[in-house]
Amino acid sequence: MTLAVCAAPARAALSVSAEVDRNSVEISGNLYLTVTVSGDSASVPDPKLANMQNFNVYSSGRSQSISIINGRIATSVTFTYILTPRFLGVQRIPPITVFNGKEKAVTPEIQVTVTKGGQQGAAAQPTAQPQRSSHRQPTRAAAQGGPQIFVKAEPDRRSAYPGEQINLSIKFYTSVPLSSNPQYLPPTFKNLISEDLPPIRSGETEIGGVRYAFSEIRTALFALAPGGAEIRPLSVIAQIPSNEPVDPFDPNFFQNLMAMSGAQGKSQEFTTDIIPLTIKPLPPGAPADFGGAVGNYTITASADRSEARTGEAVNFSIALNGTGNLKAVTAPKLPDLADFKVFDTMSSLDIKKERDIISGKKTFTYILVPRAEGRKTVPAVKFAFFDPAAAAYREIRTEPVVLRVEKGAEGAKSVYFNQAAPGGGDVTPSGSDIRYVSERSGAAASPRLAARVTALPLWAHAIPAALLTLGFWLARFNRFKSANPLLFRFRRARASASRDIDEAEALVKAGRNNEAVSLLYDSFMDYLSDKCGVKVSALTMKKAGDLIKERFPGVGDRAMEEIRELWTALELRHFSPEAAGAEGTSDLAKKYALLLELLEKELRK
Amino acid sequence: MIPAKKVLFLLLAAAALPAAAYDRSELAEFNDLYKTGRYEEALEGYRNIIAAEPANPWAYYNAGNALFRLNRMGPAVLNYSRAFMLDPRSADIRANLDYALRQTGQTLAPDNVPKALHYIYYLLAEREIKAAAILLFWLACLAGAASFLFDGGGAGRAAGSVSLTAAGLLVLALAWLGARQTSPFTAAGVAVKPDGARMLSGPGGNFKTYASAPEGRLVRILDAADDNYYEIGLPREGIKGWALKTDIERL
Repeated sequence: MTLAVCAAPARAALSVSAEVDRNSVEISGNLYLTVTVSGDSASVPDPKLANMQNFNVYSSGRSQSISIINGRIATSVTFTYILTPRFLGVQRIPPITVFNGKEKAVTPEIQVTVTKGGQQGAAAQPTAQPQRSSHRQPTRAAAQGGPQIFVKAEPDRRSAYPGEQINLSIKFYTSVPLSSNPQYLPPTFKNLISEDLPPIRSGETEIGGVRYAFSEIRTALFALAPGGAEIRPLSVIAQIPSNEPVDPFDPNFFQNLMAMSGAQGKSQEFTTDIIPLTIKPLPPGAPADFGGAVGNYTITASADRSEARTGEAVNFSIALNGTGNLKAVTAPKLPDLADFKVFDTMSSLDIKKERDIISGKKTFTYILVPRAEGRKTVPAVKFAFFDPAAAAYREIRTEPVVLRVEKGAEGAKSVYFNQAAPGGGDVTPSGSDIRYVSERSGAAASPRLAARVTALPLWAHAIPAALLTLGFWLARFNRFKSANPLLFRFRRARASASRDIDEAEALVKAGRNNEAVSLLYDSFMDYLSDKCGVKVSALTMKKAGDLIKERFPGVGDRAMEEIRELWTALELRHFSPEAAGAEGTSDLAKKYALLLELLEKELRK
Repeated sequence: MIPAKKVLFLLLAAAALPAAAYDRSELAEFNDLYKTGRYEEALEGYRNIIAAEPANPWAYYNAGNALFRLNRMGPAVLNYSRAFMLDPRSADIRANLDYALRQTGQTLAPDNVPKALHYIYYLLAEREIKAAAILLFWLACLAGAASFLFDGGGAGRAAGSVSLTAAGLLVLALAWLGARQTSPFTAAGVAVKPDGARMLSGPGGNFKTYASAPEGRLVRILDAADDNYYEIGLPREGIKGWALKTDIERL
């Protein structure tokens, strides 16, 4: 008979259901509770079981299934527990909750009827529980001096590697009947994690001539790190029927009276001592791919199809099978897949506990999206682990997986890997990594140009500064020159007159005397005009003499006389060309040159 | 304007010349080594490229990738940082530097700084800002000289406007360069040893060790005058000390 209840908020992604394999169980039997958590993400939370005083609860295993259909992820994890009842009557399994941080789902309460042995047609456990079997020899242990009840914890080894399984056997012995099934309070651990190994074994044995009924609970332990580890004390609380008379003045009178009636007994706690363990360090020489896995594994790789189109998602799975603490096994490192975009990594875990060995399968699923068409290969994936039986590292690898990729339609490039329907939600990144190496062979132009510019010598930068200074000076000079034209004419007059004399002499030599005289005349007029600061047209001999006397008082009479003589001679020859012979013209040029010499000296006085 | 144009043209032409200091096909070979997981060999190849072409940011980037795969986080951060200093606009370089920094408890962009502002702050490499400042200086001077030479004319006024604009931009570039002096990548180094860098209270083994910069941590180099020790600072923690030069690689 199966009772199943399910709870999930309307339209919620997270749901939980719980079922028991029967709704009535003998006090000496076991009950299987199966809790299934479903969600639309790669991982779902573990269920939270309330503290149950009326049952002893042992984890029996878990099984996970994950599916990705059209980019939608659906995960379902089934957790199995074995429940052993402690009291007769209607017992309740409280609501079981799961919470993923956003959504919460709760199962309804489950009721189970616990009956005395023999009421059920088929007992779950043929061997009676301690309190049932111990009716045969109720007080023999006391008579022979041995303890009536004791508990013993014993690991199968005292030394192990981190991650190597250690089986802890906890046995509860009793030679007297008990009022109810005892309550087991599991030990805590230092540097160890534990995994239940149900079911509970029970039987009878003889120790020191005393016959005991016993219950055995086994637990698998895995060390976390080298060094010391401890199994701390565990407790078993048992209700022992009391045969003492009831004292009416005892403050616990009513409790003792109830114990007399058989409904309750005297509560007694039994504990064990601390058990130290030695955890050996893993030997040196671990392969580069070693990620801490200890046990014995095999690895396989597969894709959900052998043909795909570019832009379409392919589910690529790596499955690790074997014995060991699979919960702690991390995903093997994928080789660089240049031909694929790699998206989510999801893991599913199936754990079995057969023959007290933790084994199972852990599957890592990657979403690969081919980038280009052609025959694409996912290379072998390596996985390294430490085999404690051989005390050696082993490296295993998958076979390469080949995919034939065809060109996909443009629309196929929109791939969704999120929980919601395509088009309605966001991509959920599940991991991250550095970006791939670059194929670019050199620096861009900008950094190269920058490198060359900054490598220029410091003095090179003085060139524009010098040009700027020069430009500034030239501009100032031109402005000054424009503002003071007479000053520049005054300064240039001598040089200009000298050039004219040279030119006139050249004309004389060429026999062109008239042109030479005209040139000398114009030159002399220009010279006097520049020195006097008036236009040639406004210059007369008298005015020139007055201006020279006024502006340059140091000019002597001789110089003034020479000016008048030259002026007269030049005018005469200029306006009477027939008088301009070669000899006379040359003399005029020399006289003009001598006058210039004299005037330049006189003008500076 | 003509001299400025000539100088710019020559500089651009020089920059455009292929830096054929190594065989291009070697890069593909090194990348193949990386692809097949032979990271040490790939790293050796990338180092050869760096030696031949030290201004190539991608050589540093690829070397950073190989070092990251080899789980040598300090040298990986160093190489990504050098790539970032050469080409801060590359999204790939930024992403990998940020990723590597996060592995060492650091971030590229502080959480309280808007991403856009951080991007603009690092839009140009420090060397590019310097080069821009130099070119703006040249432009401002030459255009200024031209404006003086063509004094009073339309060309002179245009040259004057160009010169003033360039001078304004030069001031901005210098201000940017000044602001970049507070960047964690300026006057910085990286702790490259797997055990990090011990920080001593003085430049010598006889001084007390009072802190340790973990591998991959960006540190500010405050003083490099000593032969064997850098004086380094950890701005976030507000502490400084002396670390062996062999433990810190300068950016």
